[in-house]
Order: sequence, then structure tokens, then C-alpha cells
Amino acid sequence: MHSYIRPNTYIALRLPSGTLKVLEIIPNTTISIGKFGAFPSNLLLGRPYYLTFELLDKDEGRATTELRVVPASELHAESFAEDHATPAESRDEPAEGGGEFDIVGEDGELIMRSNRLTVDDPSRQKLSMDEIEELKKAGTGSGKEIIAKIMASHMAIDEKTPFSLAKYTLRKSKKYLRRFTALPMDVSLLSQYILEKEAHRVMELREEMLGLIGSWANVHCAASSRVVSSPDGRGMIGGGRWLVVDDTGGMVVAALAERMGILYPEETLDDGDEDLEQEQGQHQVPEDPTKERKLSSGQDGPGQSAAADTGTDVMMVDAPSPEPPQLLSETLQSDRSNPPNRRSDNTAPSSPPKLPSPELPGRASDGSAKETTDHTHQKSRQPRPIKPQMSALTNTLTVIHSNAQPNLGLLKYFSFDATSPVPTHPLYTNLKTLSWLQLLHPSEDASSIEPEVVPDSVLATWKSGKRGTYYRKRRRWERTSRVVKETRAGGFDGLVVASYMEPAAILRACVPLLRGAAMVVVYSPTVEPLVELSDFHSKERRVAYLARQNNGIENGKNGKRNVEEGAENNEEDGGEADSDFPVNPTLLLAPMLQTARARRWQVLPGRTHPMMTSRGGAEGYLFTATRVLPVEGKVEARGRFRAGKKRKVASDATAST
Amino acid sequence: MAPSPFLDPGPTSTSNTLALLHLKRDLLVPTVLSSAPPTSADDYAEGKVTNTRFGSFPHSTLLNQPWGTQILASKVDTGSRGSKTKKRKRDGGDTPRCIEEDGEEFKGGKNQTAVTARSGFVHLIPPTPEAWTLSLPHRTQVVYTPDYSYILQRLRARPGDCIIEAGAGSGSFTHAAARAVFNGYPDEEPSISTIEPAQNGTTAPTPKRKKRYGKVYSYEFHAPRAQQLASELRGHGLASIVRVTNRDVYNDGFCLPPLQTSSFSTEAPSTLTPQADCIFLDLPAPWLALKHLTRSALSPSTLHSLSSPSTPSPNPTSNLTTQTPPTPSTFQSPLNPAQPTRLCTFSPCIEQVQRTISTLRHLSWHEIDMVEILHKRLDVRRERVGLAEEGLRGANASAATVEEAVHRLREVDGRAKLFHELQMEAKGEDVEEKEGGEGKKEEGSLRGKSKFKVEAEAARLSKQRRLESIKAKAEERPLFKEGRLLHRTEPELKTHTSYLVFAVLPRAWTKEDEERCQKTWGRGVKDS
Ligand SMILES: C[S@@+](CC[C@H](N)C(=O)[O-])C[C@H]1O[C@@H](n2cnc3c(N)ncnc32)[C@H](O)[C@@H]1O
Repeated sequence: MHSYIRPNTYIALRLPSGTLKVLEIIPNTTISIGKFGAFPSNLLLGRPYYLTFELLDKDEGRATTELRVVPASELHAESFAEDHATPAESRDEPAEGGGEFDIVGEDGELIMRSNRLTVDDPSRQKLSMDEIEELKKAGTGSGKEIIAKIMASHMAIDEKTPFSLAKYTLRKSKKYLRRFTALPMDVSLLSQYILEKEAHRVMELREEMLGLIGSWANVHCAASSRVVSSPDGRGMIGGGRWLVVDDTGGMVVAALAERMGILYPEETLDDGDEDLEQEQGQHQVPEDPTKERKLSSGQDGPGQSAAADTGTDVMMVDAPSPEPPQLLSETLQSDRSNPPNRRSDNTAPSSPPKLPSPELPGRASDGSAKETTDHTHQKSRQPRPIKPQMSALTNTLTVIHSNAQPNLGLLKYFSFDATSPVPTHPLYTNLKTLSWLQLLHPSEDASSIEPEVVPDSVLATWKSGKRGTYYRKRRRWERTSRVVKETRAGGFDGLVVASYMEPAAILRACVPLLRGAAMVVVYSPTVEPLVELSDFHSKERRVAYLARQNNGIENGKNGKRNVEEGAENNEEDGGEADSDFPVNPTLLLAPMLQTARARRWQVLPGRTHPMMTSRGGAEGYLFTATRVLPVEGKVEARGRFRAGKKRKVASDATAST
Repeated sequence: MAPSPFLDPGPTSTSNTLALLHLKRDLLVPTVLSSAPPTSADDYAEGKVTNTRFGSFPHSTLLNQPWGTQILASKVDTGSRGSKTKKRKRDGGDTPRCIEEDGEEFKGGKNQTAVTARSGFVHLIPPTPEAWTLSLPHRTQVVYTPDYSYILQRLRARPGDCIIEAGAGSGSFTHAAARAVFNGYPDEEPSISTIEPAQNGTTAPTPKRKKRYGKVYSYEFHAPRAQQLASELRGHGLASIVRVTNRDVYNDGFCLPPLQTSSFSTEAPSTLTPQADCIFLDLPAPWLALKHLTRSALSPSTLHSLSSPSTPSPNPTSNLTTQTPPTPSTFQSPLNPAQPTRLCTFSPCIEQVQRTISTLRHLSWHEIDMVEILHKRLDVRRERVGLAEEGLRGANASAATVEEAVHRLREVDGRAKLFHELQMEAKGEDVEEKEGGEGKKEEGSLRGKSKFKVEAEAARLSKQRRLESIKAKAEERPLFKEGRLLHRTEPELKTHTSYLVFAVLPRAWTKEDEERCQKTWGRGVKDS
């Protein structure tokens, strides 16, 4: 899937400082790596990931800018050199900006470690602050003179080194600073990137937690799973359907989708170099939805106009073709079944920025939505029948959201925009969204009102635009009511929550929608909400709950089934949430609270130790439990056999967790 | 072929599939459900029965139940084992031992004396890698959930990927890996458990790529272990997803002989490559396996440098490798040539890590990174403190506040005073009596002492009464929400499992590749 760098996808460049620069790589554009230079995107397209490149500027006696692949041997030179060295003093570099300046010989041998320069022994430090500043700037100059200066002023090195000054370079000289590593945009990388930049946006969700959430939620590819109707015929069970409450902007959804195999747009021809060639010669069927998106969004962008002379896919799709590519018609279809993009009216995508910038969520897609909608009006082609949006039966994620629209902005890094999805993306059919209002009070939601059915004869007299709107409204209603109905039918295989809302309230509404043995996983950046949630499921509280329930049974009230309380019941019961029992504690088995953290180490010959600093902030905690189906009518049935079965009610009702 | 209960358990339990009886946290008893009727007098009348500390469970009560159902214990004649099935709370913490005791039994005891099984219940849970990890028969150290979750996340093991795993050990990681890469059951002859999907053909350029099925290639040089794992996987319906090979990977690497089937006999290649996207090495000396995980044949000089003084290798098996260097003509890489390959090694000691990393560097791996996972579970409980807790279980009966302390001190002080006065009184009477007649002395002393005793007795009784009343009150108190809500780390903490070394091997990138790429993409924009 990440066999090589594909056009119009998001990639990350890791700079020598460790900073990640995320960008959408568009053919025939220029990629800038800050003050260290810029290069044509085409020099990177088609190349494999994880290579480290060095920017060779054209002004250094070269006709053009080039990228040189830095071989691994060069990347590891320092540690090879040290393989034979004696253990040395070791300090982590200051976290900020990676301002470490090691001095190495040109053969890669380390001569002097940076901490000598910053060590707080004033007698060894002859550089003034100004000089150090200058040293840092050496990244932009040739650095040689400055090194010479250091050499002259730093007596330690005079004492120590027999080498001539000319042999030394600053490790972080211009050359070094012009390296970068191309990384594929996947869930782990995105989590790293967002955590560094705007951790609050993902509730400080660490990569460690993503792994744990996925495991405990038992999320996996379930395309072939069976979905059956429940014995009472009103609900359904299984099928690899997971319920999600996600306040991390889509990070959790992305992580789950990656494990289910529905995060990345399907790629044909992914293997081998032959395929690589073939793919690039074969652009009539753009399998990557982002291409389509890009193409329509940026027609006036400089990148696109330049595409004309290279004959890449961008141009191909742009060109009018006698037979419309399938994707285009699908897009039309999608637009009909979709509500018009609201944001496109007020975000004014009039002048798309020259360089793709991940800081502008939804820009490209908003533009595209508008443009393709225009297409709809211009061309009156019969759309090919395709699978409707949110129509997958198995291997699905159902996201319940608090606002009118779900906030899944981070999915754009995987070529998916929840507000105007492309039909070729697996999430188009396998990601379902509905609001809490739609889930709990469907009749009060405006979108539940069925648009009036217009007879075909009348439709025929309408203008195509009006007809399009009519179809769009119908499809939207059909989709919403289908998703609402399905969700309320319950039987989900798991529930994953990462939300600022009260966890107990979410569980009260969602746990009844889970099948028996479904997993419940709740993430919280801080421990307190989950401590409380655990307490709501404590053994003592469960005993008290059962006692109360039994009293209720004896008094003849509360005779209804406590098991399988649907969202329906919850509407009635949930309103008056008992302050002593915010959740039914008998519905979850073996609640567990855990946290995990990766501790990174530096492993270098003679200098192996844990990193001395790392990110603070929220630790991140997970509450996990299993949905169970308690035996009905507990104490009432004590010692009795029910329904001919050898059933007997346990006296140690709480013993088993 | 029935789907694996690990991947799709279906709505209810069915016979001949693995189910887990959840007794309590961390204590799950695996059992293969059976609907077979008793066949001999030795069998339980109920057919197959699983006995646990929480009672006996005839499989007839476990079958065709919705997963997650609470199942109540049945009265079963457990014969002489009756005493053993009694609930044993005290050894609750010791999981392995418990599992030995909570086992299934086909044969009942010869004793036909009816023993009433105590009430109890379990929850019927379908298998998951997490549950299996807790309940599997341990044959080796295993990788637990916190580690394998992180490893699979970092390896980007995704549906459709192929993953190499060595050594397989008890199969804990294997099950989690199988779940991660699963994207369907490859079509195959159902009778043969470890046949290859037609992956060899994937390199041929086809307009639409053939679906690649996720697969785990698992290697274990301990033959009985390999066999047991293979048979477990068959039982778990995962045989078509995991191929277990009994092999020493230090010496023999990862390429496999093709499985000889009648269908593709002559065309079969001499070796079959796993085309791995991910690799997980849980071996004592992972660096010895790395030389087989390359994209091309290693040059003799590289091979030499791997065993050079900088990476000395006292392990005698390392010598064997030079005797069988892969010759270029027969070399086949076990790695997927079209993808970056991600690797993780799992080693408890830092020396192993250093050797592994040094070897990785020499073999040109990128993105080398080492971490350890610190995982802990938290216990949540309410802590009640106060004089009102006196005599109650699970609470601290010391004063909760300064006021309470002062109040108590006053009380104690008052009682002491009273006590003292009584004592004085008793003494006084003594003296009085001494001064009186001889005959009176005995009597008087007795009177004084008994009064003292009565008071002491009263104090004792009052304490008893107090405790009783506290206890009675506690019945009414909503203890579940009283006290301070606290959390602390679980009593036993794993502070070190192993060090995790990660690395990535990018695709091979030759001059020719670069030239072709330049032809395809050109420069795009003119240099400004
Ligand atoms: C710690 S166990 C692996 C546990 C496993 N990861 C799990 O989660 O259950 C290590 C295994 O590696 C096997 N092993 C050791 N050296 C080997 C070799 N050279 N080739 C194959 N297997 C080997 C051992 O027999 C042992 O079963």
C-alpha cells in the first residue's frame, strides 16, 4: 500500500531536527523544506518510502537541483565509527530544535560531542553566546570558517586532536541539514505528527494507546463475518460492526479503520516495478480518489496547469473523454445522494494556495464538492448504479456524533472527507455516522422526515437541477433512516469511546446496543473519569444494584427485562438516570483500567541508556470490559429450575469478576 | 469451512468450537464445546462437563447460548472430585495453578455418591487473542497484550499483510498476528492445513491485482511445540491463515519448500517466499536470523563483517552459517519486494539489543528504534476511614478527622477517669475493710472487686454493642458510594518484559529504478 510515493497523497518528510512536515504531494509542484531549500515534487514521486534524501542544490556547480539517496551506511556512519570507541559521555540533545552540533571528521568519525560546547564548565567554553549563535547559523553557510573559529577558540579540541582543521565539518552543517526522510502517511505517523503539533485535538492519544484500543476492542477485518438477526427478529447480531464515539477528530476512527482494512483507498497494481511502470502509463481509470479531487479542485492552481506538459494522470482526467471514467459518474452519484456541502459556501475556495497545506482542513474537498456539483448540472448523464453511501453490512464503523456533522477531519490524510466522500473510498460504504439525536430520538430529527414522493411523470417535467435536488434529498433520507434503524437494531461487536462527554452517559446509551461478549473500550487522557466509571461498575455497587433489582421484582414493579435494554428503553429510563446507578453494572464483565507507555532508548556503542526527556502531559488510560447477558430474574429464581433447564441462580452473584 | 471463532464467533456457541469460561478477571478456562452424549458408564450422565471452582458446567448448558451469557452451575455428580470443586478463594492470584484445577473432565469418578455442587456461574466468552493469551497452555514465555498490541501497531501489520514470526513458542503472538493480517480465508484444499495461497503469481503484472490474503508464517525449532501450535491453530480455524514450520531459522532462514499438491506439481518453484511485510523475532539471538532477512544475497564481505569482532558471536551455531552462505543463483528473499519491510525483535537483555542493532546497521536497516513498554493496570476502590468503621471489613477504623479524634480522646479520657475512680473506690473499700473486722475483709474486698469487674464488663459489653450497632448500621449504609474513591497500581507489576527493537528496510532502489522513475516523472517544474 505504501510501496512508493504516489501522486496526490499525503506524505511526511522528517527533517534533521526530527520535525515532521506533512504535505500532499502534487506532481509538478515545488516542495520546500524551509530555509534549507526546495525541490520539484517529481523528484520524489514514484520513489520508495523510508529513504533519506539529500538535497543537492543547483547553485553548487550543478545544472539542476537533485536529490541524492543517502545510503544506510552513511546514516549509520557515526555508530560504526563508535563501534570501536570507548564509552563516552552522553547527553540527550536539548529537546528544542535539536540544537546539537557534533563535530565529526569527514570520514564520519566523531571528534567532539556537542555537549562539550554547551557544558557548563566555563573554562572549557571559550565561545561567546554570539559565536554559538553564529555556529547555529552555520547551517545556512558553508560552516567551514565557523568551524575553524571553534577549533581555534576551543582549547579542548586543540589539546586532543592531531587532525588538521580542514578535515572537520559540523555534523549539522548545511549538508546535514539538507537531508530529509520520506515517510508514508499512516495512522502511527499521523498520531505522532498531531501529538507533536496539536495534542489536544486528539485528546493526547498516544500510539501506545492506539494499539491497545485496537486489541481490546478486538477490531479486525470482518468483511466475511456473518450478521444474523436476533432471536426476537427485531435486532441484528455481529457482522464485525463497531460503534464509535470519537472526539479525536477521526484519529480513533482512522486507527480502527486501518485495522479493518478500510482506511486506505484501494489500489490496483501495487506490486513490483513492472506494475509501477504500468500504473503510471495507465491513467484512464484513476483508482485514487484524491486524484479526482485534486483535479477538480485546483484547475486554476499553478501545479495543475503545469501538468499539461508531463502527461501525468492529472491531465488525463481533466481532458474530456468520450466515455466518462467510471469514477466521475460515481462522483456524480455521490453528489446526488449527498447533502450539499455546507462549508463550501462560506469557506470561499476561490484561490487555492499554491502549495498543499495540511493546515487547511477540507479546503481541497470543499472546492471539489462545488466543482463536481457544477458538473452535475452541466452534464445530464445517467449515473451508474453503485453501492449507496453507508450501505455496507459487515466490517463497519458507526460513529455517533454530538454535532450536526461528525468531526472526522483527520481522515483527509487518508483521502476521505466525511462531508463529501468519494465513492471509491472504502469508508464511503463502511463508515456510518449518526447524531445522538438521531440515535436516541429519531422522530425529533428533521432528517427523519420523509421527503414527499414525486411521481415519475411529474419528475419528468422538472428541470434537471431540481430533479437532482429531489433525488439527493430522497437518498439522504433513505440513508439516514437506514443507518438509524440499523444502529438501533444493536448487536454491535464492540464500542470504542474517546470522548470528553461523561463516559457513564455514553455507556448507558450504547452498551445495550452491544451483542453479548462485545468489547467495550473507553479512552481518557486522564484517569479520573475512568476511575469513576470503574467505580460505577464496582462489585459493591453491583451487589447493591442486584439487591435493589430484586426488591423491585418482589414489589412487582420493574418486571421488564433488564437484559437487552435497547436505546428505546433507554429513552424512557435514561432520562432519570439513577445517581446511585448511572449505568447498569451487571451488563459489563471484568472491568479493567490500564495504561501503557513506551519508553524510548538510545542505543549507541558504549552509550546506551533511556532517553532523558520525553513528552509529558496526559498519560492516557483505557477502561475495558466485556458486555455480558446476565441471567434474568436473579434472586426470584433462586434455587429453581427454569424452563426445564438445569438453571439455578448463583448465591455468590458477584464472585465472578 | 467454518469461520474461526476468533474472527467470527457467530451469535451463539456451537459444538466443536473453542469457548472460554470466564471465572473471574484473568481466569478463563478454555474448552472445546461438545454435544456428544455420554458413551460409557464412566461418562457424566450429562455428557461432557467442565468443572471449575465455581461449579460444574455440562456442555449441554453451554451450547447454543448467545455469547456473553451468564451460565449457572449445574448439579453434577462429580464423584470423588466433589471436594476439589469447592470454591477456593485463597489461591485466586495464582493463575497457572488454578487452570490446572479448573479443567474439563470427561470421566466422572467411580463414586456415585451425589454431591451437591455449590451455586456459582461463569460467563461464556468466545475466544479472542486477549482471552487466549490469558488462558493458553504455557509452553514458553509468551508475549502479552500490552507488548503485542504495540508491536503490531508499530509493524503496521494490516489486513492482507504477510508476517513472519519466529519462534512461535506458545502461540500467543501468533493469534494476535493472525487477527491483524486476516482479510479472508484463502481458497484452498480444506484437508491440508498449511497450503500456500497462490501468492507466487502476484508478481506477474495483471490489470487488477489478485487479492492477497494476509498470512502468518510462523517458525519454531522445537518440534513438539511446533506440532502443538499447528494442531491448536487447526482447532481454532486458523490453519489457513497461519503456516507453522518446524525449523531452525538461524541456519535455514525463512523461505519454504512449496507444499506438494497434485494441482501444482511441475510448475512449483523450488522455494516459496513468504513475501513478508512484517517480521517479529522473539528468539534468543535475533541477530543470527537477520542475515536471512535481506533483499538480496549478502556479499561475503558483509557476511564477514557481521561476524567481525564488533559483533562477536560466541554462539556455536553462528559458525554454521558461513558454511551455507546463500549463493546468488539460489537466493530468494523472504521479503515482499514491493513494500518496505518492518521488523521488531523482542529481547529481555540489553546485550541482545546491542548486538541486534549493530547487525541491523550493518545490514542497512533504517529507522532503528528501541523502546520498552511500561504497562500497568490500576485497581479502583473506595477507602473508608472513620470511627464508624470500627469492626467493619475493608475499612480503616482510625479517626477520620481531628474532631473525631478529639471526640474519641474525650470519651476515652472520661472512661479512664471513671475507671480510675472505680479503682480508687475499690481500694478505699479495701482499706476500710482492713480497718474493720477480719471477717468482713474478705467480703468487702470481694464486693469492691466485683464492682470493678462489673464496670469493666459493662465497658466490654458497650464495645460489643457498639460494634453490633455499627454492623447493623452498615447494612443500611450505601457503602458502595461512601469513602474516598482511589486508584493504585495493581499489586503485582511487570516492570520489565523485553526490549523492543524496531527497524524498517526500504524497498531496494537501484540505479535503473531511479532512471526509469526519472523518465516517468521528469522534473515537472523548471528550476526557478
Ligand atoms: C519466548 S518463545 C516465543 C513466544 C511467543 N512469541 C509467544 O508469544 O508465545 C521463543 C521460542 O523460540 C524458539 N526458538 C529458539 N531458537 C530458535 C531458532 N533458531 N529457530 C526457531 N525457533 C527458535 C524456542 O523454541 C521458543 O519456543
